[in-house]
Amino acid sequence: MFRKKGSSPFVFNVKSRMRVAGMLILLAPLCIFVRLFYMQTFLYEEFSSKAERAIYNYLAEDRLRGKILDVNGRELAESVRTHSCGVNKRYVQNKNKTVDFLSQTLGIPKKRILEKWNRASNFFFVAKKIKPDTYIKISQILRTNLGQGLELTPEYERIHPYGASAMDLIGASNSKNLGLSGIEQMYNRELSQDISKKRAKRARRGEIIYDRKLKEELSVANVYLTIDAVAQFYAENALKKEVEAIGAKHGVAIVQEPKTGKILAAASYPVKDGQSLAFQFTYEPGSTFKTIAISSALDAGVVHITDSIDMSGREWKVASTLTVRDNQHKKDFLSIPEIMQLSSNIGAGKIALELGAKNLYYYIKGFGFGTKTDINFNGESKGNLSHFNKWTVVDTATKGYGYGVAVTPIQLINAYSAIANGGTLMQPHIIDRIEYAGGKVDKKSKPVKIRRVLKEETTEIMKKVLQSVVETGSGKHAKIKGYNVAGKTGTAEKLSKEGGYAKRKHIVSFCGFAPVSDPQFTVLVILDDPDKYSFGGTTAAPVFKEIMERLLAMKAVPPDQLDFE
Amino acid sequence: MRVFVVLFLLALFGFGIAVMRIEINRSGREISQIQNEVEVKEARNQYLQLEISRLSRPGHIIQIAEEELGMVPAKPHEIVVLEEK
Repeated sequence: MFRKKGSSPFVFNVKSRMRVAGMLILLAPLCIFVRLFYMQTFLYEEFSSKAERAIYNYLAEDRLRGKILDVNGRELAESVRTHSCGVNKRYVQNKNKTVDFLSQTLGIPKKRILEKWNRASNFFFVAKKIKPDTYIKISQILRTNLGQGLELTPEYERIHPYGASAMDLIGASNSKNLGLSGIEQMYNRELSQDISKKRAKRARRGEIIYDRKLKEELSVANVYLTIDAVAQFYAENALKKEVEAIGAKHGVAIVQEPKTGKILAAASYPVKDGQSLAFQFTYEPGSTFKTIAISSALDAGVVHITDSIDMSGREWKVASTLTVRDNQHKKDFLSIPEIMQLSSNIGAGKIALELGAKNLYYYIKGFGFGTKTDINFNGESKGNLSHFNKWTVVDTATKGYGYGVAVTPIQLINAYSAIANGGTLMQPHIIDRIEYAGGKVDKKSKPVKIRRVLKEETTEIMKKVLQSVVETGSGKHAKIKGYNVAGKTGTAEKLSKEGGYAKRKHIVSFCGFAPVSDPQFTVLVILDDPDKYSFGGTTAAPVFKEIMERLLAMKAVPPDQLDFE
Repeated sequence: MRVFVVLFLLALFGFGIAVMRIEINRSGREISQIQNEVEVKEARNQYLQLEISRLSRPGHIIQIAEEELGMVPAKPHEIVVLEEK
């Protein structure tokens, strides 16, 4: 039956059968290999994009944003993640059911949704900034038939729990978490963190499969201001009431800690996002500037506190172009405290001339006028102080009572704080610290002494002089029971567009500190262009008093008067 | 025989890896779902915290104290700070 081995080439012994079978078995993987090679080489693009869609999902780019808080950690601005709900009409399976669902879930009348539906060619937003509870309800039906065509787009809502309070400082940011003005813009780099687009594996129904690589290390920071939200509220509240009562165009109120330079409140009214009048407004200060000129003259030793200045006729012809008049008293001689109490322009002008243009200029410069305070707020103005070489006698005299020099509120309050703290000009701060996600803290508000501007003895004299202004002079309305208060009123005429000074347009102000024995707060109040003619002593001083009273109570500062009952 | 054992072990190893990968994906999916839930709950918590901040803002408290409870702010000299023992 069987032929002998080697007798014919077609004899199938076990070995050749195995070889044939092996080749047949190898043929299948070979075909697969050839197909794979073809696919890999010629159909790569097509299949890789299919695989990409089937296996991966993309996590959208994102931008996290830190908080802005007050010095005590009260949130002034915080980003909350919200979502916008949109409809892609093309993919909606049952229009009526979808509209019903959206109407019930979002609490929007059906009619309004249908109006949007009819107006849109394909895609339209039904609601923006939807709350988390609503988001859960919608996200749960997204993968059902009812949810086909619905889209939830993440966005942010910047919430200000204290309402418009300090908005002039904080500024604004948009729904993409980008700072647009104020602190939001200035500290945008620290406050925001960009999260790049990420590829994530997806499950069958599209859910993202967690992977450690998806988690990005947080570097976003929280910015703490030196502002105390309660002090800010008191300042804003008192300022708003007075601005509205006297019909002023603007108002500014600042509270500073004289020993550290920290700004506890900086209120502007009306409030505009990111535009703080405390740093950006420039004005001729008028009589509040007499404090600067007279303290400089006392410090230089050109006048003594016991000196009297000749007021004969209450009229002083400085030059052919300028005659200064004092209508508020009938005295022929005034002592230096009386010049301040009665706010005599003749007295302050004569003392400025006595000090001389050069000395006055360097003292004014020393107090920080004519240069930015470097408080680090966008748009801070440096005011206007020309070089003494250009001054005439009139310029020197008028600077003595606060004309011919433009200052910013922050410069003036910082100068008063220097008198309050014993003669040292401090660096003003509005940023207390920046706390990064990793726990690193960047302290920004360490007290920094800029320079000594007055001798301590001079400041002691000036404190008594300013205290007498409140006790018996033009600042009576700033008196606070139990506390010695020092301060100076200011009523300055504004420059007119036609040239010269406008008789009906003026700025009233009051700047002072308390308690005199150990000053805790310096407060400046400015009211710009009131409807009716008013004085710093009758309008700004009461606002100062209201703010200072609240601050002293808030910090439980003990009274420094012994017998006030 | 030895070849079969090696092949069997290799197959077992491959199966083990496959099961592990499936398990990793399942866990990853669960973690993602939990993370989503955490995010939503955190957002809700944040809203509630903000509501607390809103309600405790000085303007709101002063309004309730003065208008509803008839309170007036104390003058600073009326405040007595008790010394801590």
